[in-house]
Amino acid sequence: MEIVVLIKPIPEAESRLRATPDGRGLEPEGVKFVLAGYDESAVEQALLLKESLPGSRVHAVSFGPARCEETLRAAIALGADRATWVEGPPEGSDDPVLAARALAAALQTVPHDLVLGGKQAGDDEEGIVPGAVAELLGIPSFGYVTDLRSSGPSGLTFLRPTEAGVERWEAPLPCVVGLQQAWNDPRSAKLPNILKSRKAPILKVDWPTTSKALALEAKPRSIGEKFELPAPRTGAKMIEFKTPEEAAEKLVRLLREEAKVFP
Amino acid sequence: MPDFSLTAEQESLRDAARKFARTEMAPKAAECDKSARFPEEIYRKAWELGLMNLNVPTEYGGSGLGALEQCLIVEELAYACGGMTTSIIANCLALEPILLGGTAEQKSRWLNPFCAEYHLASFCLTEPGGGSDAAGLQTRARKDGDGYVLSGEKCFITNGPHASLFTVFATLDPSLRSKGIAAFIVPGDAPGIVRGKDEDKMGHRASSTSTIRFEGVRIPGAQRLGGEQDGFSIAMRTLDQTRTPIGALATGIAQAALDHSARYSLERKSFGKVIAEHQAIQIKLANMAQAVHAARLLTWHAAWSIDHGHPGTLESSIAKCFASDAALRVADEAIQIFGGYGYMRDYPVEKLMRDAKLTQIYEGSNEIQRIVTARELLRQYG
Ligand SMILES: Cc1cc2nc3c(=O)[nH]c(=O)nc-3n(C[C@H](O)[C@H](O)[C@H](O)COP(=O)(O)OP(=O)(O)OC[C@H]3O[C@@H](n4cnc5c(N)ncnc54)[C@H](O)[C@@H]3O)c2cc1C
Repeated sequence: MEIVVLIKPIPEAESRLRATPDGRGLEPEGVKFVLAGYDESAVEQALLLKESLPGSRVHAVSFGPARCEETLRAAIALGADRATWVEGPPEGSDDPVLAARALAAALQTVPHDLVLGGKQAGDDEEGIVPGAVAELLGIPSFGYVTDLRSSGPSGLTFLRPTEAGVERWEAPLPCVVGLQQAWNDPRSAKLPNILKSRKAPILKVDWPTTSKALALEAKPRSIGEKFELPAPRTGAKMIEFKTPEEAAEKLVRLLREEAKVFP
Repeated sequence: MPDFSLTAEQESLRDAARKFARTEMAPKAAECDKSARFPEEIYRKAWELGLMNLNVPTEYGGSGLGALEQCLIVEELAYACGGMTTSIIANCLALEPILLGGTAEQKSRWLNPFCAEYHLASFCLTEPGGGSDAAGLQTRARKDGDGYVLSGEKCFITNGPHASLFTVFATLDPSLRSKGIAAFIVPGDAPGIVRGKDEDKMGHRASSTSTIRFEGVRIPGAQRLGGEQDGFSIAMRTLDQTRTPIGALATGIAQAALDHSARYSLERKSFGKVIAEHQAIQIKLANMAQAVHAARLLTWHAAWSIDHGHPGTLESSIAKCFASDAALRVADEAIQIFGGYGYMRDYPVEKLMRDAKLTQIYEGSNEIQRIVTARELLRQYG
């Protein structure tokens, strides 16, 4: 099976984030971008499928600025066979539809029986790219997926945990699947594979090629207006109590009189 | 000008070690410290990821890293738990004599199968009668046909209760001191090996340490490393390689103490303000930061010297000694900054002080490091 996995570099969880001076975006300086969250689970899923289907290959694809290269190398260190960087516009872009169009254009020349991604990116959590890529490729798309397995040469089974229960699905290939996070305990890369990944080739589709293919002006169609950090949280209030009844009574009084959440 | 920036490769190795340290080691550090549990599941996972046989070339199944890369990794591991790190890097110490003194045949015979699976090895130099005076060791190697018979006792042997391979230093003639010592490869299941009980230690309690007694252990001649007089030199050259990572281990402990202290000083209030606003605390933090920074740079420099083909004896001695002294001082100040809470086992800093202490003692005590430093220094003048 030819498995493509779409990945996006996102800020490391411990990063200290700041807004750019114009307040319209995230200041990338000093932030470490990594393969993490839903995408890490997607790579793990791709590798599990590859291991269960001999002869399969995993091709990691990332759209955006030069930092994509590090994320692709992380995927190679984990076990991806090939990697393609689809270069974004020089001024940067947060436009998910542009990302989907560029990725779908690149996938015209990349064999794909199955396209995996996180159900959403771990940073902006928009969740638009997988569905939009499927639409542009004219193939079905499924989101919120866990436990994906092959069911023969042309199909898949998977689960979709929803608030009402767990759905069991069968789907035809090719299709696009957006995966849930952390249900499959993503593996870590081994040091010798990290060293090998540094020397692996990364295919590049440059921005002029993409913009020509899409007949695009180099202009994203959505731009950030204002980027700010949430207000710092104020301290929690600890309730002192001796019995559960006393705790409940004090809590209800606080909710009613101070927080005013109900009359 | 020297260049202090790390390559992308070095950064990705460090990141991998950091991830392992923070997700696998740190959550279990306090529990293993309290109960003196040897967390085999963590050591197995470290082996799987290639964090264990860092210095063994890839052709024998190791990770084949240079000294600087080893230091970057060891500092990250020690940041999470000094004791686990001691057990994880003990293989590097135990296998280095084979790398330095082994023939091509010995290396592939002993290293390949060893590295192909999870195994622990121990370096057996120290004896109950003395560690610093290694030339005076008393474990005997007696010639027996084409081989040798070992008898004697080693003590404080890291991973001793679990090792499946030992590198052992023994004397053919104690009166010859350093010239009488030979080095041997001894499989863990050789008849006559008696392992002592796991020692109850002040720190590094996730590591295990025991005596190893050799009661007439027969070793074929093919398991001797180098010539009959080469053992002492192999031991000293081994320590020249492994001292620098101990500097990195100490630096990791010190960095953890500094991070805990800086964070706590921004939360804890006294006299109506956070204690970080008291100048006395700021000066402590500044001194701690200076010590951590200097420890790291000395360690990096020693590693750089070794990676550039220098023996590194002087540099690694200075780095190990300085970094371990710094670690104890910084951990001590961390407890002071935490006040009474620092003295409590529920807070993380008193463990750092207990763990830091060992780095002044093992792999050559700091008194011995100062002797080495002075000797190397005076040689340049004499
Ligand atoms: C937890 C732990 C793990 C260890 N792991 C290993 C291991 O895996 N393998 C191994 O072989 N060893 C190991 N050791 C042993 C360690 O390397 C020795 O403890 C150390 O070398 C000191 O030897 P000693 O304890 O016999 O002290 P001694 O040599 O008896 O020294 C006692 C004191 O005198 C000082 N001193 C000695 N000689 C001089 C001198 N000439 N001038 C000035 N001061 C001097 C020393 O610095 C020390 O302060 C370990 C030790 C510990 C505690």
